[in-house]
Amino acid sequence: MLAALAVWIYAATRLWRTTVPAGLDLPAADVHEWFTPKQLADATSFERFLAIDALLAQIAVVVVLVLYARGWQRFTRESAAGRIGTGLLLGMLAFAFVWMAQLPFGLAGVWWEHRHGVSKVGVLEYAIDSWFALGGQFLFVCAAIAIVMALARPFRRTWWIAGGAVFTGLALLFAFLSPYLIPDLDKLHRHDLRVAAAHLAKVEGVRGVKVSVEKVHEFTTAPNAEATGIGATKRVILWDTLIRKPFTTREIRPVIAHELAHLKRDHVLKGVALFALFAFPLAFVIAVVTRSRGGMYEPGAVPLAILVLTLLSILTTPLQNAFVRRYETEADWVGLSATKDPAAQRAALKLLALTAKSRPNPPALEHLVEDGHPTILERIALTQAWERRARP
Amino acid sequence: MRVIEDLTRNRLTVFFRFFFSIPHILWLGIWTFGVVLVAFVAWFIVLFRRELPPGLHRFFTMYIRYAIHVNAYLNLAANPFPDFLGENGYEVDLEFDPPAPQNRWKTGFRFVLAVPALIVGAALGGGASGAFSSAGTTYGLQLAGVLSTCAFLTWFYALVKARAPEGLARLQWYGLHYGAQVAAYALLVTDRYPTSDPERVGIPWAAPEHPVQLVHQPDDGTRTRLTVFFRLLLGLPHIVWLILWGVLALIVAFVNWVVTLFRGQSADALHRFLAAYVRYQTHVTAFLGLTSNPFPGFTGTPGSYPVDVDIAAPERQNRWTVGFRFLLAIPAFLLSSALTTALWVAAFLGWFAGLFTARMPDGLRKLGLFALRYGAQASAYGLLLTNRYPYAGPPA
Repeated sequence: MLAALAVWIYAATRLWRTTVPAGLDLPAADVHEWFTPKQLADATSFERFLAIDALLAQIAVVVVLVLYARGWQRFTRESAAGRIGTGLLLGMLAFAFVWMAQLPFGLAGVWWEHRHGVSKVGVLEYAIDSWFALGGQFLFVCAAIAIVMALARPFRRTWWIAGGAVFTGLALLFAFLSPYLIPDLDKLHRHDLRVAAAHLAKVEGVRGVKVSVEKVHEFTTAPNAEATGIGATKRVILWDTLIRKPFTTREIRPVIAHELAHLKRDHVLKGVALFALFAFPLAFVIAVVTRSRGGMYEPGAVPLAILVLTLLSILTTPLQNAFVRRYETEADWVGLSATKDPAAQRAALKLLALTAKSRPNPPALEHLVEDGHPTILERIALTQAWERRARP
Repeated sequence: MRVIEDLTRNRLTVFFRFFFSIPHILWLGIWTFGVVLVAFVAWFIVLFRRELPPGLHRFFTMYIRYAIHVNAYLNLAANPFPDFLGENGYEVDLEFDPPAPQNRWKTGFRFVLAVPALIVGAALGGGASGAFSSAGTTYGLQLAGVLSTCAFLTWFYALVKARAPEGLARLQWYGLHYGAQVAAYALLVTDRYPTSDPERVGIPWAAPEHPVQLVHQPDDGTRTRLTVFFRLLLGLPHIVWLILWGVLALIVAFVNWVVTLFRGQSADALHRFLAAYVRYQTHVTAFLGLTSNPFPGFTGTPGSYPVDVDIAAPERQNRWTVGFRFLLAIPAFLLSSALTTALWVAAFLGWFAGLFTARMPDGLRKLGLFALRYGAQASAYGLLLTNRYPYAGPPA
């Protein structure tokens, strides 16, 4: 056990490392220098509602799963399937309860975003979409439970080792295939952005990366971009809400540079490693806790396993977010080194915050729990720190 | 319903049946227009008096009787040319109870209450079609009903044999009887809701022995609202598994075809594999169609599900019918497709009933069972598990 712990700590240390200079002293950025009081008040009002909504949804999910983990027996009467089939049914029902618990909060969130012009999705449309998305979740849940319960037959107590490896392998496969799983992708037609992307890719040393555009303007006004894929499938995806007004080419360049930096620094692959870092211990805890119900070999352990997984995910999210924020900071830093245009980056960050109505300096606790990115203010401060270092 | 069970058909009138029916179709259309207008007046009368006056009762029953005569003639469920007044005495005929007091609530909401029965009626009758346009493109959907599919198949059969196949005729009588019940309910002749229970509608007749039998445990119709609500999504893993298994089953079926053609009998291992597939297909359809309640297993094991298929061991088969099995199975698959549509319609309506009452209505459930039986027999015939053609008659 100690050896495993040592390996875990070593792996976590390796994953924690980035190329951002150690001991980088971020200047204290003044939020009022960048945002007007009205903009701050708007963003605070907007995000506070969503934060409370998300918190209540989380509580509702936990309550529902606790109740389900206590009263799951009556649902076994609904199954004429064998051991694994019954496990699948219990797993799907758990997610059905979660969906029902989350739906009112999801609808409230969509209504709020719609009201503030961030989302274009209607309440009914959201309910129908989430219903179909639940079908996709059911398939994933079934695949996961089938794997675990199948492994639990030969490895009653140690399935978590093989399970962790299998799920990590699947995460790797998913990361590889993910660019092909995103719908409504189009080529980047704007010549100026294609030239800019090619230049930045050359500077960053990640040539041959495709840049695509995802059509999302029918659903949202919020701008975004992402880096996906590994190896031959590496790709930068820009939302079509980003490559239109009010963003200028100069403000889009830092975003492309940031995403290319993710690929340059293998953050997608590191994300898979991060998944493995948490998957093994989580699977181990689930294996230990479910032993009271006969282990994951028994279908009756499934509701408890899902509850434990949910609780552990909530508890470990701040730690996982801390890793992800490190990578985002590194992507900003490497991107800045490519564009050498901190002013444009600051302008882009400001626009991103305003169009998405996100708070530039959210409360610390909320930031730790929810955010996978540094705050806008921290990111602005980073550009200033880079500027200071780059100055001769 | 009263039927003179004469299956002989005149080839000449069969060949020109649609054209011979045209005067009746026109007359029925005119009569229908009048009936709709009178029905509106009748609705107010029944709402106040609680009972349909004898004159209106006779008018409506004559209309329904005539509509059934015309449909039976048009769809080859009967042979003689019917009269134009809907009088008693035709080969396929109806009897009606005298006017009786009706519940005012049921009368008040009759047009709404009749909608589910009309939907089932469309699935069991001539079918339905619909179209909508979007961005300059028109999308259409045409579903053949059970009655019209039977008529289509009977037309070819009767031209060759000068008689209607017994199973198809019984299925048509069942569809016609259900249609008559729906019309009687919608036209306020009775407030008894139509039942699609094949054991009570049409001319129930014990099905002949068949190597592929549907066996089902007693079911009081109780359903769990939660699993009813999520039924389609809960069935997704089964649908994926069924598709994967189906691809493999197609390959195995081809191998089985070659083996049976040479040996005159399926190989045991192939027969077992394909039989398990047919059973699994039936289990999944029963679950998705709310015909049964529990979540099925993934292996199609015999006896593992309350609605199961009993498939006999491999038997010797006629090599000629094996050689042309794919073509011979087409009529069975056509009818199976029409019955499966009826099953999904029953499932759709049963979904609402299940959510509100936590029960699957008996008529819809038994319609589902009937469709499952025919579907299993058709699949078994197509996959060379048996030499016997599927029997289309509803169960007694």
